[in-house]
Amino acid sequence: MGSPSPADQVSRRAQALAGHLRGLHTSMEPSLSPSPCLQYSPPELASPPSDFNLSDMRKLMDGHNLQDRDWLFGLMIQSKLFNPRVAGGRVFVSPDYNQSMEQQREMTMKRIHYLLDCGVFQEWLTGRGPEVEMRKFALHEVIGMYDHSLAVKLGVHYFLWGGAIQFFGTKRHHDKWLRDSENYVIKGCFAMTELGHGSNVRGIETVTTYDSKTGEFVINSPCESAQKYWIGGAANHATHTIVFSQLNINGKSEGVHAFIAQIRDTDGNICPNVRVADCGHKIGLNGVDNGRIWFDNVRIPRENLLNSVADVSPDGQYLSAIKDPDQRFAAFLAPLTSGRVTIATSAVYSSKMSLAIAIRYSLTRRAFSITPNQPEVLLLDYPSHQRRLLPLLAKTYAMSFAANYLKMIYVKRTPESNKTIHVVSSAFKAILTWHNMRTLQECREACGGQGLKTENRIGQMKGEYDVQSTFEGDNNVLMQQVSKALLAEYIAVQKRNRPFKGLGLEHMNKSCPVVPSQLTSSTLRSSQFQTDIFCLRERDLLIRFAAEMSQLQAQGLSREYALLQSYQLAEDLGRAFSDRAILQTFLDAEAAVSSGPLKSMLSLLRSMHVLIILEEDASFLRYGYLSPDNAAGIRKEVTILCSELRPHALALVSSFGIPDAFLSPIAFNWIDANSWSSVQPQQGATVPLQI
Amino acid sequence: MVPFSSTNGNGDQVLVEENLFLRTLILNRPRQLNALSFQMVSKLLELFVAYEDDCNVKLVILKGNGRAFCAGGDVAAVVRDINGGDWRLGAKFFWKEFILNYVMATYSKPQVSILNGIVMGGGAGASMHGRFRIATENSVFAMPETALGLFPDVGASYFLSRLPGFFGEYVGLTGARLDGAEMLACGLATHFVPSTRLLLLEAALCKLDSGAPATISSILDEYSQQPHLKENSAYHKLAVINKCFSRRTIEEILSTLEREAVNSADNWISATIQSLQKASPTSLKISLRSIREGRLQDVGQCLTREYRMVCHVLQGEVSKDFFEGCRAILLDKDKNPKWEPSRLEQINESMVEQYFSKVDDEEWEDLKLPAKFTFSASLLAKL
Repeated sequence: MGSPSPADQVSRRAQALAGHLRGLHTSMEPSLSPSPCLQYSPPELASPPSDFNLSDMRKLMDGHNLQDRDWLFGLMIQSKLFNPRVAGGRVFVSPDYNQSMEQQREMTMKRIHYLLDCGVFQEWLTGRGPEVEMRKFALHEVIGMYDHSLAVKLGVHYFLWGGAIQFFGTKRHHDKWLRDSENYVIKGCFAMTELGHGSNVRGIETVTTYDSKTGEFVINSPCESAQKYWIGGAANHATHTIVFSQLNINGKSEGVHAFIAQIRDTDGNICPNVRVADCGHKIGLNGVDNGRIWFDNVRIPRENLLNSVADVSPDGQYLSAIKDPDQRFAAFLAPLTSGRVTIATSAVYSSKMSLAIAIRYSLTRRAFSITPNQPEVLLLDYPSHQRRLLPLLAKTYAMSFAANYLKMIYVKRTPESNKTIHVVSSAFKAILTWHNMRTLQECREACGGQGLKTENRIGQMKGEYDVQSTFEGDNNVLMQQVSKALLAEYIAVQKRNRPFKGLGLEHMNKSCPVVPSQLTSSTLRSSQFQTDIFCLRERDLLIRFAAEMSQLQAQGLSREYALLQSYQLAEDLGRAFSDRAILQTFLDAEAAVSSGPLKSMLSLLRSMHVLIILEEDASFLRYGYLSPDNAAGIRKEVTILCSELRPHALALVSSFGIPDAFLSPIAFNWIDANSWSSVQPQQGATVPLQI
Repeated sequence: MVPFSSTNGNGDQVLVEENLFLRTLILNRPRQLNALSFQMVSKLLELFVAYEDDCNVKLVILKGNGRAFCAGGDVAAVVRDINGGDWRLGAKFFWKEFILNYVMATYSKPQVSILNGIVMGGGAGASMHGRFRIATENSVFAMPETALGLFPDVGASYFLSRLPGFFGEYVGLTGARLDGAEMLACGLATHFVPSTRLLLLEAALCKLDSGAPATISSILDEYSQQPHLKENSAYHKLAVINKCFSRRTIEEILSTLEREAVNSADNWISATIQSLQKASPTSLKISLRSIREGRLQDVGQCLTREYRMVCHVLQGEVSKDFFEGCRAILLDKDKNPKWEPSRLEQINESMVEQYFSKVDDEEWEDLKLPAKFTFSASLLAKL
């Protein structure tokens, strides 16, 4: 087509102007009706009643101590200390993150004292047995749903300080410290990490010697890099600390040991020869007073050595039942397991909160009409939005079962199960916390601009939970330990010519599973196929990893150096182990449910969980466990699963059992919550909600 | 002003006055302190449902004839029915009553309840879910169910659990009586109007041509007073109440109260302990759990759960305390009920659990709430 003539252009321009003027004219006529205002419509209205029982699903998810959890939710909702705020006629509780770091820390401490007075921490250190521990886990999870700082501050005191005394200490320590710690008469912290050494605890530089003349240990920070760093509770509140230090006896280093040292007196004054400084403002967790500690030849009584593993006699002889320093060191690290258990579970609850908020919002928020003059489309009716949120929902279900399993093996631990617990807790801690950060980011984006408001929680939680991939073991380091442990197991089996036993590796004793070349929908959804392909990947990667290692070592590389070189296979293997182990926990949970709508829903979620891993993890194509055609079929099946889960989305997040007050304004009537009247002072006589 | 348009027969247990956009419903069984009969509940439900769709009605006032607003559901009649045969007859009463409570809680028009006298049990259910509750110097509020072998029902697990701190647990478990000033202080009442000004207030409301909560609120404010909270009010003890009634179990609540009693010569604490000791142990346990669950549920979930609970109470499989309580307090009036189980420690977790389960009966069904989704924040009962 040629360009229009100038005359045409002029006439078109005139027409357009006339059109504008006409438009201007008509728009001033009162008869033109404005488009109707958006009305909030609760998600319950559009969602069909669920065909599975929500409270049964919640029981399965939470797993234990449901009434204790609800009691604690209630304790927090009813107290003004938990900063209740009204929006859209509802009360929401959440810390005021706009407070200064100092104010947040003081509020954290006040909340602890309130919960203490209500009896929440009863038996947390003086009680024993699986029941007490499960209750403690449940309550700690609920606290974390309110505020991660509060949970971490308590975790340091009860799980790290208290746990160290329980596990490294002996009766004399238990009798002296546990009850006072449980009642917060003593406030404990846990000084392991140093400026120069984090994950590599064996490299710490703090040194302790023994003075047999006075019967005292002398703790010293010999250089700046030996200062204790990130010590939660140290900056403001802790009166005592566990100190991890090299122990030098008669000029010989006996390795890392744990001691109790007082750092503040009862009035809060820093003890002599101790220096404390603040770690400063952080990207999150500002309610926790992380601090730094220097020890200038601090003297502590000989009895303050936590001596379950090794002791020093009054005359200065080193005594230990465990001769191997490696094993001695491993025994010292055992209590960190409980920290990894609580981190893994709290990551799941954080994911649940963000998904509940984002999915409820996506069921009430509309954007764009597909056809003119039709209502705009609900966010969750967009297949792309389903694809963003529903796989994460399914994975969160899977990880909920994984966390429950982890807690269970932890509370039923025996000396024989220690290795399994170490490997599984390392793997699950890393995978569940990575999943959480990814979920938080996706949910934040899925809430659009509203996700940026602190009151809507998700955005803030990103900062609050980011630390999870670092503390109690850097995720990458933990995953390396997982693949190292698997390799050691593999080599032991080869060497001793015995079958695999433990760590879920028994499938390696059977013949290699065969994945059908044609994958139909029903195959993809079968637990047999799902198990087979995860086992296939784990088996193959373990064999490859072992082969690469032995090849590198045959070329003259040391084992340690070979491990560094094989990091790619090690990472893939760590993932493969974790995915297979998590799937197993899902299948076990499913098997315990009798046939019915609940079981069908679980099976749907499991298929989504597995297929999304098959779609997203490049290792399946990289190593040829799936053909490109299969991968395309899986991708298609994922979209079908999304549409099948869509009608159940509300029921699935309601089953998390999170009280409304712990969600946020956008999870409910966000139009009311943002109305003009909501920013006006209340009219007329109003009754204070709380006094 | 129109005096009133009489309702149909039934001895006019509910009177209706019509004024412009206002309907005034008067509970009219003064000799029974306006205890809610099945007829009254049915009539109220019928009227409330009709007014919801009637654009000539913008405001509903509920009040009582005589010295009571309403002393509760007519449980004596319910017990007579059941003793005559089937527990399901009793369940029917509660079904209808709870549906009425739900309709009030989700009502699209403001309800003003004038609580110029006794407000107990079912009377609280008929008023607390509405937007405005007017207390006077004559108000006496109580949820006395645990002394009757029942539990605070009519949605009390919703409104008690939303009182400040753990005041709701205190009120619901001990059956403590509150006066008008205390009702206002804790939020059970939204306004306090001296009874001498009630006629003027009603006249002012008659003239309204708007049902906007803000407009009604400003009229109520004009007639309201800030009453003086009496020196020995339980509400001054909120710190102790929170400390004790926040505990996890009834046993822990009692032992915390007893520890407090050692450190103080306060009569209030010993009276509180006594009222707990006199109450049905089973009632205490299920009531505490009900209030705790109610705190995390919406009003519909609360009523549905309470309906399950009340059916179990009527069935009497775990305990027959409700019948014993009615006998001792309402019928024989010996005030000496013999509870069974008689001690807290005899009631285990699974016995309590039973009250919260579905009822194992072919014809039984869960409470079916009318579909209502148009909650407006400005009309929710401010608790």
